[in-house]
Amino acid sequence: MATAALSAAQPAPGQAAWQRFCRHRLALAGAVIIMVLVLGSVIGPYLLPFDDTYIDIMKRFAPPFTGAHILGTDELGRDVLARLMMGARVSLLIGIVAMVIAMAVGIVVGAFAGFYGGVVGAVLMRLVDAVLCFPTIFLLLALAALTEPGLVTTTVLIAATAWMWVARVVEAQVRSLREREFAVAALAFGSSNLRIMFRELVPNAVAPIMVAATLNVAKAILLESYLSYLGYGIQPPAASLGNMLNNAQIYLTSAPWLAIAPGVAITLAVTSFNFLGDGLRDALDPRMNIP
Amino acid sequence: MARYVLNRLAQAVMLLVIVSAIGFAILHLAPGGPLSQYAASAQMTQEDLDRVTKQLGLDRPLPIQYLDWFGRMLKGDWGKSYRDGDAVLSVISSHLGATLELMVSATIIAVLLGCWIGILGALRRYSLFDSLATVGAMIALSIPTFWFGLVTIYVFSVTLGWLPAGNRETIGDGSFLDLAHHLIAPAMVLALVETAMWGRFMRSSMLEVINQDYIRTARAKGMPEWRILTVHALRNALLPMITVAGLQFPTLLGGALVAETVFTWPGMGRLFLDSIGYRDYPVVMGILMFSAIMVLIGSLIADILYAVVDPRIRVG
Amino acid sequence: MVDSTGKFGVGGLHHLGIPNRRQFFQLGAGAAAGWTLSGNAFAQTERPGNPPDKPRGQVIAALSQEPTVFHPLMPGIEVDQGVWWQVFSPLWFIDPDGKFVPDLAREVPTVENGGLSADGLTWKIKLRSDVKWHDGTAFTAEDIKFSLDLINNPDFRVRNRVGHSLVKDITIVAPDEIHWRMDAPYSPYMSILSLTFIVPKHILEKVSDPNSSPFHNAPVGTGPFRWGERVPGDHILFNAYAGYHGKGPYVERVVFKYIPDLTVLYTQFRTGQIDYTGLQGILPNFVQEAKTLKGRKIFVSAMPSIEHIAPNLEFGPFADRAVREALYLAINKQAIIDALNYGLPTQTESFVPQQAWSFQQGLPQHKYDPTKANALLDAAGWVRGSGGVREKGGVKLEFTNSTTSGNAVREQTQQLLIQDWRAIGATMRVNNMPAAVIWGDFWQQSKFNSVIVGVNFMLGSDPDVTPRFGSGAIPAKGGRGYNTYQYKSAEADRLLAEGARQFDLAQRKTTYGDLQKLIRNDLAILPLFQGFIAEGVKEGLQGFRPNINTSSNCWNIREWYWA
Repeated sequence: MATAALSAAQPAPGQAAWQRFCRHRLALAGAVIIMVLVLGSVIGPYLLPFDDTYIDIMKRFAPPFTGAHILGTDELGRDVLARLMMGARVSLLIGIVAMVIAMAVGIVVGAFAGFYGGVVGAVLMRLVDAVLCFPTIFLLLALAALTEPGLVTTTVLIAATAWMWVARVVEAQVRSLREREFAVAALAFGSSNLRIMFRELVPNAVAPIMVAATLNVAKAILLESYLSYLGYGIQPPAASLGNMLNNAQIYLTSAPWLAIAPGVAITLAVTSFNFLGDGLRDALDPRMNIP
Repeated sequence: MARYVLNRLAQAVMLLVIVSAIGFAILHLAPGGPLSQYAASAQMTQEDLDRVTKQLGLDRPLPIQYLDWFGRMLKGDWGKSYRDGDAVLSVISSHLGATLELMVSATIIAVLLGCWIGILGALRRYSLFDSLATVGAMIALSIPTFWFGLVTIYVFSVTLGWLPAGNRETIGDGSFLDLAHHLIAPAMVLALVETAMWGRFMRSSMLEVINQDYIRTARAKGMPEWRILTVHALRNALLPMITVAGLQFPTLLGGALVAETVFTWPGMGRLFLDSIGYRDYPVVMGILMFSAIMVLIGSLIADILYAVVDPRIRVG
Repeated sequence: MVDSTGKFGVGGLHHLGIPNRRQFFQLGAGAAAGWTLSGNAFAQTERPGNPPDKPRGQVIAALSQEPTVFHPLMPGIEVDQGVWWQVFSPLWFIDPDGKFVPDLAREVPTVENGGLSADGLTWKIKLRSDVKWHDGTAFTAEDIKFSLDLINNPDFRVRNRVGHSLVKDITIVAPDEIHWRMDAPYSPYMSILSLTFIVPKHILEKVSDPNSSPFHNAPVGTGPFRWGERVPGDHILFNAYAGYHGKGPYVERVVFKYIPDLTVLYTQFRTGQIDYTGLQGILPNFVQEAKTLKGRKIFVSAMPSIEHIAPNLEFGPFADRAVREALYLAINKQAIIDALNYGLPTQTESFVPQQAWSFQQGLPQHKYDPTKANALLDAAGWVRGSGGVREKGGVKLEFTNSTTSGNAVREQTQQLLIQDWRAIGATMRVNNMPAAVIWGDFWQQSKFNSVIVGVNFMLGSDPDVTPRFGSGAIPAKGGRGYNTYQYKSAEADRLLAEGARQFDLAQRKTTYGDLQKLIRNDLAILPLFQGFIAEGVKEGLQGFRPNINTSSNCWNIREWYWA
């Protein structure tokens, strides 16, 4: 999403955007942390002497910095750092892929509904409303009951509960923008509807989309943990940040590092995505170009 | 306007039909059933289970069950819980008070605190306050609620002993002070995420507005800053917030479900989770319909208000 | 740990060997009715004080499941039975020593006292005449007749009719005496009646729908506590019934508090908000810490259920006994018991609880021996293929294992098994489900590969396991029972039939001992350990007595009191 949006901008404003983005220290920090998390989760496991699923029952609940176990071991004597890296891999993957799916569906539905209004808009938005009538967790639970738990299903389920919201934001923006001068102008120049929608109107809604997208990654990573909490998440022995956190809750007093490690990782990842989005928002908002 | 409202009402009824059909289908197609719990305790053989299935009418084709349920719902009979045999509406209403108590107090905290933080943050962009608020909101949004709730219990109940570790009241007490004492922790936990959301949206919305041409025009005209803020900026910045408010109910209910679980709060969210766990279809459908109606009312009011305050949206 | 199946343990009638009169005599006499808990909680009971003259104080008992069924004859679960024990009374019950104790009956019917005919067909029950329902109406034989008739009423959504359907010609001889005839002698009926709570005729005869009435949500009984109020999803309050006919009650109020999360439940016990942690007790990982808490007592008691790995014997690799034995040898049972369960349970090789008279000593002892397991599989022709997974004749040694999701200890056990079994070339995947899914058709109709489950195999307290291991009890094949393992053995069927015909306790012990050897040898189940529950009670609360013969240790709250 981010790179696509960046490259879509014109060269000169693009440079200005890049400069503004760099000035946004939190966004930069967020981008750096995400990079570290991604690198850590991709190559980290290969650098460790421990396998994330290797159980050593005699060494369970070793506190951090016990021998080579930097973050200690968990309730089955597995290395927490190794699990954290693999867990972050799974959670980031779920978060990003679910967000991309949700965005794509949401933007298309929202743009069509907002642009055409009338029957098309009403039908699409009623569909959005109908799905929105279900509290997210209920929808997740109900859908999860229909499928076998796993990486792909978890991702799709989370996306299925997140797109409506984007659609609403986009629809509201497009609906209010299409009456504005530039859309009218574009129509007068004979642009096709699709072109107006996705070249003129949707880019104007990029700020709220970005806000929604960043919140969505956060939401997806969190929803994964709720799914685990409610018993439908990633199945053991595979790790995800959510199921690590969930498994750790009964040991909160006796082995707090088990809860702290994934808790901090989730918080870091989600916070970073939010800041990144904020930075992008400031950088990309075309109306900010006017001095 | 009246035509618009009527139109929307008709749409809302259609929506309820769709919602009920989707919900009914998902629920009944999902594996498992209300009798599994009895099968688990092995006090009933397959024969007994089949008999009760028949007595409950669960052996009929799904469309028939749906039409039967829908027909009776229109007449005000929402069915009876498979668990305690109580009428669904009375089951819901007996849990509603606890949830409303939690939701309303959390929302009040969240709206006041969130809007204040958001507006102030936007006006004093990049100030220390704004940075702290932004970072704080991000972290609030990033902490899994159930985990935060557990940590709250450990810190404030187990370690410090200031707050009760869950429950709505001390059984046998039930005074206002006692209720309030029990409410603090779950309301705060539920309000945390809500506050962050309101704060974020308010800030974005406010920033969007104060950079608009007409604000600059107003400034150029020499209009006093407070007037610009209240008359132009705030009014327009609150506009998208109406949508947020209209959409808040299901989010709140979801948050309440988690908070109620952690704090053993006897509300609708908890009931929801239990009823899904037991496959208590009538209650689950009842809560679903109830929340759908609430959401629809919320969105209807939001749309009408939006149309009223934004002259750019044409009604019709 | 109590997430188990088979607490009530009453099987379908049709495969129960009908005992002859001598056996009937023996069981009816009250000998070896239940079994006793030895070397457990009792040793810890503090100095006995004296119960107060009149009810004093309240007890808050926390439960991790919500009681919702208050009509004691309708389908309910263990936690509902906890409520029935407070509000209602049975004719008699089985105490922790395994003895029948009269409750509404004046005496337990035996052949000696004339309560039972020698052929076991005629029952004459003498009732107490000083019992009153909570609304003041006198309890009479009419109520017994009404309850039995209601159970057999086809319009009534009864839990089950096992045993009751044999009852014919109910005659009320006097307000305090009732007779009936049985179609066939049926000894388990004694223990079935010990868990059959009697409902009031004068209230229920007036309701139009037996399945739904005000009574269902505000029951009236003869028990030690009167129904107070219920806040759905939160708690149920009971008040002491001053006119109770038995011992107690010694506390003014009992509150059943519903706390769905076991961690929260323990925390509230720790912070003193609750006085007793009932079903499902304290999680094993908290037990050690709980024992160090000031002012709290922890009781770890054995449960009749057996925690085991249930293989689906019709599923590919599990059909091969060599595979089952190799898998069993490769389980690090000690790690499961000592590490994952903190040494609380006792390892077992049998499906019979170790407290029962029928328990067979000296079954082959499990040994953790991966080398032998590998050798066994090699010899049986299971060769390692790609990825180190063994296969034989196109069948891969690959399977899923399921259990109730959210059960932390079982999920840890699964992960240990994955590693243990990978070492012998078997691949196991986890496929956990919520309770409402897994115990439905998935379990009932044998759609699983393997499951980790705790089951009470006993029929009441009798070792007749025909519903569990009889070849005619496979629900997936239209059988009546719970043989979801799909175990079929002519020898087992023979032993089961023989055991049901035998009357001499020593003979039966031999027969069921042989059966236990056979099941152990066939590895129809891979037993892990005997179930247990850790319960916490606030210090000063006297009278808590775990009773393995009831489904709920709340059975005698009437005798609890604050010292």
